[in-house]
Amino acid sequence: MSHAFSVQNLSYRYPKAKRDTLREITFSVEEGEIFGFLGPSGVGKSTTQKVLIKLLEGYSGEIRYFGRNLQSMGKSYYEEVGVGFEMPIHFSRMTALENLKYFSGFYKNRINFQELMERVGLWEHKDVQVGNYSKGMKARLNFVRAMLNNPRVLFLDEPTAGIDPRNARTLKDIISEYRAQGGTVFLTTHLMSDVDELCDRVVFVVDGNLTDISTPRDLRIAYGKREVKVEYREDDALASAVFPLAGIGDNEEFHTLLRSKDIETIHSGETSMEDIFIKVTGAQLP
Amino acid sequence: MTNMLRLIGGELKRLASYKLLARSLATGIVWVLVFLLISKEDARDVAPMLMFVDASIVLMLLVGASFYLEQQEHTIKSMMVLPVSVGQILLSKIISSLVLTLVTVAITCASVYFIHEISFKYVLLLLFLILAAVTHAALGFTLALFGKSFGSMLIMVIVYVVIFTMPSVLLAVNVIDAQYEWMAMISPSHAARSLFTSVVSGEYEWEKILFSCMYLSFLAMALMKFVVYPRFKSRAAKG
Repeated sequence: MSHAFSVQNLSYRYPKAKRDTLREITFSVEEGEIFGFLGPSGVGKSTTQKVLIKLLEGYSGEIRYFGRNLQSMGKSYYEEVGVGFEMPIHFSRMTALENLKYFSGFYKNRINFQELMERVGLWEHKDVQVGNYSKGMKARLNFVRAMLNNPRVLFLDEPTAGIDPRNARTLKDIISEYRAQGGTVFLTTHLMSDVDELCDRVVFVVDGNLTDISTPRDLRIAYGKREVKVEYREDDALASAVFPLAGIGDNEEFHTLLRSKDIETIHSGETSMEDIFIKVTGAQLP
Repeated sequence: MTNMLRLIGGELKRLASYKLLARSLATGIVWVLVFLLISKEDARDVAPMLMFVDASIVLMLLVGASFYLEQQEHTIKSMMVLPVSVGQILLSKIISSLVLTLVTVAITCASVYFIHEISFKYVLLLLFLILAAVTHAALGFTLALFGKSFGSMLIMVIVYVVIFTMPSVLLAVNVIDAQYEWMAMISPSHAARSLFTSVVSGEYEWEKILFSCMYLSFLAMALMKFVVYPRFKSRAAKG
């Protein structure tokens, strides 16, 4: 497996800014993985994405895209990457179909977007002006727009924000299928349920620096308590007991409780991605 | 080349969707009415002024309006991640604005020809029109990129008109003495107007024409390279 992106000591300072927004960050994104780039607003997530999609220049450090220096890549780069912005990015007085036909025409490699529009529930609204779309419909259209060139790497910024749970499920399924077919995803989001379901590896951005890269599972274990909590009924009241996870198989008290009581729930002490987000970044989720 | 044509087609479609094309046509119709009401002699004086207004002030406003409407829709960002260069995007915007100007100037030419039987060297006119329009499109972009909103850009256009266009108009109506005309040539407005005046009147002062052409070309290239291109990229990144 090769690196889709290899980023070494990336720093970036906006013109007129007094300090760097990104401070010598180093990470790599493997081909065929969904890489979660997480953090609160204003810490450099969008800046990193803008550097990677070549909207921002003048950075220091080195970025390699499948081994090639990103700076040396011309407009052909956009034949290979798809970008799903968080905000609506379509011509509001044109219909969805007109928008997609227009953008699709620029690519050498094009998908049959009708199929994708049908899956995300937009085909029946294809002749509606985008300005009349709801927030969720615009977000789904953004996703289709990002997939138009069947990209090798897909950048997604809050792809399910504002989308109802059923359509969000569909979108996440499509993203997983894309990954299964070898596609690489660079995902920035606040929605930790998306991270939990989709990401192979994640990193948190904290004040322009990165934490260690890890998997959501490893993070849950590392930040969780190694214990098991059992809730049970006793004398018509709810009671609970906590046992250490280490040696649980030989814990006689635990096994006695399981045999003798009316058990309602058993939970290991894993913490949620939301709690990890707050612990690591020190920020509250919006 | 195909992508360039696609960009221009998209821009024209977008301008039409904002009804900017319809407004250009409506302006042309107003000019027809003006020519119906004035004499042949007056038409020779008014025609270059109207062409100049279309290729300068109106074009600057058109570029600004189009830019801010696009910024509202965030489509600039979307265009920047297409396999086209920033130069191609800017060129397509300038060409499509030029097309709208051509429409009104063509109406003006047709009006003075059919109403007053006045004709001129159309190839030369087209050349001068392109030069004046491209320079003023670059000026329009510059003001739009320095402005924070269409309102603030509008104020800058008014300031531009007072400083650069009014002296040219005052020269045309002899309020400012003709001996100061060379000083006025520093104004892109006057350089452009002198080109239109020469082609409509048929009186060619080649020194003045050469200076105007070189000055407008230099100004357009300098603005595009050092102001519009970098600021457009930076603005696009901000979304």
